[in-house]
Amino acid sequence: MAENFDKQNNNGQSKESDPNYWQSFKELYKDISFTEAKKLEFQKGVEDEFDVAKLPGVSRRKFLALVSASAALAAAGCADYNGNGKIIPYNTKPEEITLGKPNYYASTFIENGQDYGILIKTREGRPIKVDGNPDHPVSKGKTSAKAQSAILSLYDPERLQQPLRKTSSGNFMKSTWQHIDQEISSALAKADGKEISIISHKIISPTTLKVIQDFQQKYPGAKLYSYELFNEEIRNSAWEKCYGSGLFPSIKWDKAKIILALESDFLGTDGNRVETSRMFADNRNTNDLDNFNRLYSIEGNLSLTGMNADYRMRLRPDLQFEFVMSLLNEISKQGVGGISVDPDILSQFNLYDFAQKNSLYGNVLELLVKDLLKNRGSAIIHAGRTLPENVHVAVNLLNDALGNSKLYNPDTTELPDFSLTKKEEWESLVQSMNEGKIGAIINFDSNPIYHLPPDLGFVDAVKKVPLVISLTESENESSELANYVLPISHPFESWGDAQTRVGYYSLQQPVISPLFYTRQKEEVLLAWVSGDYKENIYHDYLMNNWQSAIYPSLNEMLDFNRFWLGALQRGIVNTGSAPNSINSFDKTALAVLKEKPKNISGYVVSLKEGYATGDGKYANNGWLQELPHPVTKVTWDNYASVSVATAKQMNVEEKDVIEISLGERKLKIPVVIQPGSADNTITIELGYGRSKCGVVGLGVGFNANVLMSKDSKLTPWIYNSASIKKTGDTYDIVSTMEHHPINDPLVSGVVKERKIILEGTVFDYKKNPKIIKEQRLTDNASLYDPHDYPGVKWGMSIDLNKCTGCGECVISCNAENNVPVVGKDQVKVSREMQWIRIDRYYSGSAEDPHVSLEPMLCQQCDHAPCENVCPVAATNHSDDGLNQMVYNRCVGTRYCSNNCPYKVRRFNFFNFKDHFRDGYQESNLFDLVYNPEVTVRSRGVMEKCTFCIQRIMVAREDAIREHKPLKGSDVKTACQEACGTSAINFGDINDNKSEFYKYRNNELGYYVLENLNVRPNVTYLAKLRNTHSEEA
Amino acid sequence: MNIDYTKELALVEGNPRLADIDEIITRPLTQPPTRKFYIALSISSTALLIGAYSLWLTLYYGIGMWGNNIPVGWAFDITNFVFWIGIGHAGTLISAILFLLRQRWRTGIARFAEGMTIFAVMTAGIFPVIHLGRPWLAGYLIPYPNQHLLWPNFVSPLLWDVFAVSTYFTVSLMFWYMGLIPDFAILRDKTVDKIKKTIYSIFSLGWRHSNRHWRHYEKTYMIMAGLATPLVLSVHTIVSFDFAVSLIPGWHTTIFPPYFVAGAIYSGFAMVMTVLIFVRKVFDMENIITLNHLERMAKVMLLTGSLVAYAYLMEFFIAWYSQVPAEQYDFWARVVGPYRWAWYFMISCNALIPQLIWFKKVRRSVVVLFVISICANIGMWFERFVIIVQSLSRDYLPSSWHMFTPTLVDFGVLTGSFGLFFTLVLLFAKTMPVISIVETKSVLEGSQPSVHGGSHHE
Repeated sequence: MAENFDKQNNNGQSKESDPNYWQSFKELYKDISFTEAKKLEFQKGVEDEFDVAKLPGVSRRKFLALVSASAALAAAGCADYNGNGKIIPYNTKPEEITLGKPNYYASTFIENGQDYGILIKTREGRPIKVDGNPDHPVSKGKTSAKAQSAILSLYDPERLQQPLRKTSSGNFMKSTWQHIDQEISSALAKADGKEISIISHKIISPTTLKVIQDFQQKYPGAKLYSYELFNEEIRNSAWEKCYGSGLFPSIKWDKAKIILALESDFLGTDGNRVETSRMFADNRNTNDLDNFNRLYSIEGNLSLTGMNADYRMRLRPDLQFEFVMSLLNEISKQGVGGISVDPDILSQFNLYDFAQKNSLYGNVLELLVKDLLKNRGSAIIHAGRTLPENVHVAVNLLNDALGNSKLYNPDTTELPDFSLTKKEEWESLVQSMNEGKIGAIINFDSNPIYHLPPDLGFVDAVKKVPLVISLTESENESSELANYVLPISHPFESWGDAQTRVGYYSLQQPVISPLFYTRQKEEVLLAWVSGDYKENIYHDYLMNNWQSAIYPSLNEMLDFNRFWLGALQRGIVNTGSAPNSINSFDKTALAVLKEKPKNISGYVVSLKEGYATGDGKYANNGWLQELPHPVTKVTWDNYASVSVATAKQMNVEEKDVIEISLGERKLKIPVVIQPGSADNTITIELGYGRSKCGVVGLGVGFNANVLMSKDSKLTPWIYNSASIKKTGDTYDIVSTMEHHPINDPLVSGVVKERKIILEGTVFDYKKNPKIIKEQRLTDNASLYDPHDYPGVKWGMSIDLNKCTGCGECVISCNAENNVPVVGKDQVKVSREMQWIRIDRYYSGSAEDPHVSLEPMLCQQCDHAPCENVCPVAATNHSDDGLNQMVYNRCVGTRYCSNNCPYKVRRFNFFNFKDHFRDGYQESNLFDLVYNPEVTVRSRGVMEKCTFCIQRIMVAREDAIREHKPLKGSDVKTACQEACGTSAINFGDINDNKSEFYKYRNNELGYYVLENLNVRPNVTYLAKLRNTHSEEA
Repeated sequence: MNIDYTKELALVEGNPRLADIDEIITRPLTQPPTRKFYIALSISSTALLIGAYSLWLTLYYGIGMWGNNIPVGWAFDITNFVFWIGIGHAGTLISAILFLLRQRWRTGIARFAEGMTIFAVMTAGIFPVIHLGRPWLAGYLIPYPNQHLLWPNFVSPLLWDVFAVSTYFTVSLMFWYMGLIPDFAILRDKTVDKIKKTIYSIFSLGWRHSNRHWRHYEKTYMIMAGLATPLVLSVHTIVSFDFAVSLIPGWHTTIFPPYFVAGAIYSGFAMVMTVLIFVRKVFDMENIITLNHLERMAKVMLLTGSLVAYAYLMEFFIAWYSQVPAEQYDFWARVVGPYRWAWYFMISCNALIPQLIWFKKVRRSVVVLFVISICANIGMWFERFVIIVQSLSRDYLPSSWHMFTPTLVDFGVLTGSFGLFFTLVLLFAKTMPVISIVETKSVLEGSQPSVHGGSHHE
């Protein structure tokens, strides 16, 4: 590693000034005595003596010299350490670092046009974990799985390490930044008036946008194009039609008592999920039953949101318009004014006829209408971003008519002068490319060849552009066709800022020097603008921009430098601006609601964002690829999700490969049968099937982007009139939970009769608070006297009312506890290593299943069955009630796992580091991601959750040093920290004054498999479904 | 066939002379190996090499080379272990218990069965070591004083296994060797080869066939038999505790100790029968290992097979009677679940097929007995497979359920265990008297005083 650190310090660039955050290293690097010592290390004479050439014939010395030289060469792997610069012992440590103590830096993670405030934990200058920034007004201390996984991407050995230049033979050759800068600057200058197209993702950083504007000034032909595979464009344009201006607002989910989600996965992938799931769960508080929200979900495929719905119905997405119109008609019939849709049209939509025709439940719809009318002003109807504009207009109208616009929080904002590129502009770009009018294309951290619809013809057009430059962290489909591939720094090595809401800016600061010869993407452009690269060129630019453009508007009392340091420390800057105002509803927008009910049949294809891999950017991240899909539990693949009836109709079974044709566009993809899917609806997640990617993501899943079209009739994500052909092939789909036919008599009933899940309804619980207690077996006798735990005894509680089953805790646990990635072949044979799994059980019918979720981790049983069977006492009980694992002592009999009723122990069947993808994880770089507080387990060793024992030990040491008793609230486990809905609580069971005690002894609390009398210490708070009493 | 049940059947047929007995039994030791022997040895050592290679893969890469997973932490490994321990039960039962019960017919088969016991326990003993994730640390299972004051966990059934199996092996080996001493002396006296003479001299411990020697020998043999007898029952009882002490449905069953012992004797006799049917043919020992011997062994198989069948039924009864849902589910899943084929194998081979032995024709047909004994071996292997794999694959939380699929390496190790066992058996047959010479002489017609005056030829 010293090598890599050195490279960046010696990468041939100007070292005049480097006042970046590594400032404290500066003295060390520039230390005169050190440099001198280095020069004097080998005195001339000494080196001469070992010059082999000067030695006579075959002498003993020559022989020895040759032997030692070849040994040294072999040992050093031809790396000339001396030539690479200094290797530095950690004698003089930087001021802010205390060995063994982590430092936290506030920064920002940008994903799909959203900014997440993060805190990056670093140890000895090495980032190891990402948590949410508690000061961030939206994230509030929580963060997304992708942000947490970014730490793994930082150390991805397949990141590009230096600039590449394509030779005339079509191969890439390594180059240096100086050469690249010269070549490209002169090439850009020669563009003589032709357009230079910069293709970017959505830009939310004001300073980045300014860099591009500066670039445009220098190169007047430059034009910015931008896209997001999934975006809010339709929702925003509908909003603009309805309200004249502004963007679709954020929603005060925590004020909503009734939520109707139409094809909206607001808890999963739609919008800022960190914010929405936190606010949603706030109203799932069992201590505040009167404000308990009720979620209705009507969707085409079972989503994360659908799993958490109190009432869920299935409806193909292209019928949502008809549904909303029918609902409008019904609401209007009930006497709600303001629904000024053409009555001739509206009257053609009848809610209950519609329900009957599409097998929705009429009685549930009645309840829905009643609820919406009763809770005017505190209900929200939310349409998914993939739905067409007319649905959004109708939904806006419905919300407006019901007075629900009170729940809008119009604080969303976009950068002025920025909007995503429209279809027509893309078409004209492609045309210009074909006509040779484009001088250069710069892929500004984007991957248009993978993301843009294939029928745009972008791929072929790119080949006609003389100069294509790809700025990217690692190779991708677009960089393959580029003349220059320029490696950019990881976000954790970069400066930046972001604004998505009016109230604040987020700041991004690097937490490590670039590991390779990379520059952050803004630096690359700035170097071409100024013609002269300096090491902190963007840092200075950012500060200047803030000082001149943003700081003055903030009316800060502090001088800029002090303000700036404070802002960096907090990671956010509050602007104090008030939210925008919302204009009154513009009835002329209703002109789009003129479509009459149509007979829709045939297959509809619905494309969704992948839960784990997003738009495909994170495909090379093993943690995300191996995170089980929240619904199907499938890992390492995407698939065509269909309903039971549709599978029967297509005559396919799970894992059969079908061919989907949308006109000319075809895709072969395996089938997964998903209970709760709407019939004739084929749902596919995007972000898979990368054809140019690192070895982790290569060939994982299927590229369904090829089904997208620039001329979509409905929306870019929904296509009807698809045709299906069974190919006769099969493809292995692997999941962490076996698929049992839902109506298998062998399996149904098991969950209930074993008391694995206990549930109730809000209504019943109000009537009888003992409803869960009465279902429990609480009179477990024991032959032995209970063991005494006089001090702290650790316990956990998981509130199933709040748990949405998103799996963020799994990623956090992976990062904290050095859990290895095992790969698809090992998940297939049930050897995944994640210490937490989210158990998902269906009940009810295969058509409209209820879903129950239950995170399952080591229960730290008082009477742990694993402990007494271990022949070598490698697993035993601690004084504070933990079921410990002594890795050094473990011989690997696996008896403990066999005897664990929860099967939460994980065994290292291989050295997974070297097993996965031919030793991919053995790269030295990967070692940097490990938490130094946690042992990396070798093969043959059993492992499991120990309530983050390393965190407990730190808290205990602190308490001892400070002479105060250790308290339960001193420790937060990694899963607890990551849980976006605060479903997980952790603390001292014996402390009856603590907050945790209330959870532990909650009336809704139960233990899984209580009848075994193993006395677990993870309390589950039973889920209450907020259904109507007349339903129950 | 007319049999006079008032008279004991002749234990050695054809009324050979004493010298003929020496001749017949030592013939394999004195003659050069035949072509048949080499063929048999090459087959068994090929199997052994396959096993060795599979084991190498396992040790080099890890347990992941097998099909084991979470939840099925044990599969072929422990199935093989219990299977081979079971095979090792016939020998000591025949030599010790039948000796104490004065069943003189044991003579013809005892030595061989004892040898098989030793080899089966050796084969079985490999598995607890190689199934470990880190077999190089197997020493942690042995209680030895150390600076850390760390002891093994004495409440773990796996530790009991270590003691039970090693004790059983030691006592069986000593018992076997004791019986061999007079025979070694005979061999020493007969041989002219210098090397052989030296070896036999060492192992015969200066035996001179003196009266005093015989008196000590008979007493000690009796005591050893007394010591070995409880071990026959204890070893498989303790092996069954591996399962009975746990809380997994299908494992946590109080009937396991007697059920396992009966099953072990059943499978042990089946294996002895399989091998002896070959040996008596190949080495022309049909007069010493007679059809009567086979018939008697078949009867023991019928008894123990029926005991096992009873245990199967009782498990189902208790599952129903207990009203424990998980337990009921597990047994129901055995019949209709994804591993039902293994259960059907087990039931038909262990409970149904041995019932044919009720028919005398079956009992006295060597071919049918051979088929039945092979079935019993297969059935008993599947019994352990059903208990271990099917119970683990469907335990408490359906979310953790997963099927076990064996890999080629799994089959390689299984093949290797048979290879090791049969290689040892073949080498044994070629280097040591497979039937006790002295004991056979003692059961010849007229060798013992009797009310008939020594001879009662019709």
